[in-house]
Amino acid sequence: MRLPRLLRTTPFRLTLLFLALYAAAASAFLAYIYVATAGEVTRRSEAIVTQEMQSLEAVYRRGGFNALNQAVDERLSGDHPLLYLLMNASGKPVSGSIGQSPVSDFDGDQKWASFVLTQTDADGAVIKRPARGLQERLAGGELLFVGADVGESEAIVVKILHALWGAGALVIVLGLAGGVLISRDVSRNITSLTDVIDAARSGDLHARATVRGTGDEYDELAKGLNDMLQRLEGSIGGLRHAGDAIAHDLRSPLTRLRARLEAAMIEADAGRADPKLALHQALEDADGVLRTFAAVLAIARLDAAGDAPDQTVFDPGLLAADVAELYEPLCEDKGQDFKAELTPALSLKGNREFIAQALANILDNAVKYTPTGGAVMLRVRRRSSGDIEMSVTDTGPGVDEADRARVLERFVRLEKSRHQPGAGLGLSMVAAVARSHRGHLELDEGPGSLDGSGPGLRVALVLPKIG
Amino acid sequence: MRLLIVEDDLEASGAMTKGLVEAGHECAAAGDGEAGLAEARAGRFDVLIVDRMMPRLDGVAMVSLLRKEGNQTPVLFLSALGEINDRVAGLNAGGDDYLVKPYAFAELIARVEALARRRETGSVQTLLRVGDLEMDLIGREVRRAGREIDLQPREFQLLEYLMRNAGQSVTRTMLLEKVWEYHFDPQTNVIDVHISRLRSKIDKGFEHPMLQTVRGAGYRLEA
Repeated sequence: MRLPRLLRTTPFRLTLLFLALYAAAASAFLAYIYVATAGEVTRRSEAIVTQEMQSLEAVYRRGGFNALNQAVDERLSGDHPLLYLLMNASGKPVSGSIGQSPVSDFDGDQKWASFVLTQTDADGAVIKRPARGLQERLAGGELLFVGADVGESEAIVVKILHALWGAGALVIVLGLAGGVLISRDVSRNITSLTDVIDAARSGDLHARATVRGTGDEYDELAKGLNDMLQRLEGSIGGLRHAGDAIAHDLRSPLTRLRARLEAAMIEADAGRADPKLALHQALEDADGVLRTFAAVLAIARLDAAGDAPDQTVFDPGLLAADVAELYEPLCEDKGQDFKAELTPALSLKGNREFIAQALANILDNAVKYTPTGGAVMLRVRRRSSGDIEMSVTDTGPGVDEADRARVLERFVRLEKSRHQPGAGLGLSMVAAVARSHRGHLELDEGPGSLDGSGPGLRVALVLPKIG
Repeated sequence: MRLLIVEDDLEASGAMTKGLVEAGHECAAAGDGEAGLAEARAGRFDVLIVDRMMPRLDGVAMVSLLRKEGNQTPVLFLSALGEINDRVAGLNAGGDDYLVKPYAFAELIARVEALARRRETGSVQTLLRVGDLEMDLIGREVRRAGREIDLQPREFQLLEYLMRNAGQSVTRTMLLEKVWEYHFDPQTNVIDVHISRLRSKIDKGFEHPMLQTVRGAGYRLEA
């Protein structure tokens, strides 16, 4: 038989487990209280009875049976709480407050007995109270019984017990109710998450879990799930886009290559031209296609990987200095002023190779688009937020604000850069590197227009601080 | 040189053999990892050119086995897998160099020759000499015809690599990999600029230019 869904939830099971543990602990506690209080009541009554017995024995030793009888009578006429019964050697009552000895089968010298004292009060009602007493055989063979009413003390014990049982029952009821409530709350939260997972599994990557804003574990879980779905959706979209882009952008150079080879074949057949030149051209075209293909593949793999693989901690300033060293002579050859401002001793966690490549791509663009006499500035610094910013500012033509988001897309080349070599993948690669390090890429205006050049471009790769 | 090509794509293997034979080398070919292993065990080769992904026994497993048996023949891996971790896996298995498909033929020849040469000059040298050019690796000094040449640290490394491979073509990618330790392809030929700076330092004022550009391949330092 399957239990109702609510009773199968983990929190409910945990509630039951805690209740069981509590019940065991409470039972042990109750048992201890009972033993301690009830035992104490009995001990105290017995002590009082024993003491009285000893004092009556002293009377007997001094004055014999008659003196004892008198003492018992005196006690009975006074307001004494104890019970007495004096009997002769054959067990026949002589005097006392009870008619008959509650001790049965008395054959030794001394015997304790617990019994129920039945009394009739002033209104004629019968009251039964627990009592305990000691019977002894005196030196002359007579029997003396002294007992005490323990009803009141035991009533207290019973009250304590009742209170404890009541509290226990209350705790169990409240615990079960609480367990049910918590389980329902947890089930509701989990169900909303599993609904999203089910939706994603059946292909709907737009589904998102509700974040209630309470900041608890469920919110964290929902946020994590949403973030995961976001990335999944992004990378699947990216792959689809990459596929389209590869198909689109490899088709034109491949068509060109094919046309060139065909034309060369016709020319060579007619004996008009040297096929070697065409072959050379074709080889260059093929290399271009392969480079584009490699770059697109690298971007797609980076995007598909989620977080960049093989991340290590390193000094971004040193890495930038290395890349700068590669590009500085190029700047100088082009008559550009190159400057680097690298904050020392920073640390960054990431894939060195990818970040170096990203920086190289940014520098490559800067050097390519900055005119002779312009300037290229490389800067690595820590932002006040702790994020690491690696930026390159140039005095080239810049990118219009409207085009800035577009140049990060694959294969996008702006009109003014058509005459420059390149496949239009440089910044897309940089953006992919930023994404795979959970950072981002910022494009801004450079230092502004001056002498007809500019306004320049500032490209900043911003990577999150460690931890 | 005697080369063994272990490659399951017979067309690629045939083209490679043709080109390498034309470049003056002797070639044997094997079509899968097991055949490659048998050939490598049987013959003496200067360099093994091994494809990474093959039927029966893949390239990495084949080279690992050879290395365990104590065979130290230099290995150049060919692979369509170009990620850093793929490279690292190949080099950890005992490969000496790693070339990502597709590659230019000049690149293949340059790398094979560099590998074979590295084997010849296995001993640790402290003084490199090519023609009248001398490099003292301990004193970090370079002289040509007795005249001291002042080089930046990177220029020194660049020249060291060229001198170690003197007389042979080295490609731009090889220089970027071995001297700068980058495995990406810069869009602009930044290497050319560094080479021309080095050239102006070692060849300027001398009648015979040593640092030559090899069309379609890269550069070569000639005595």
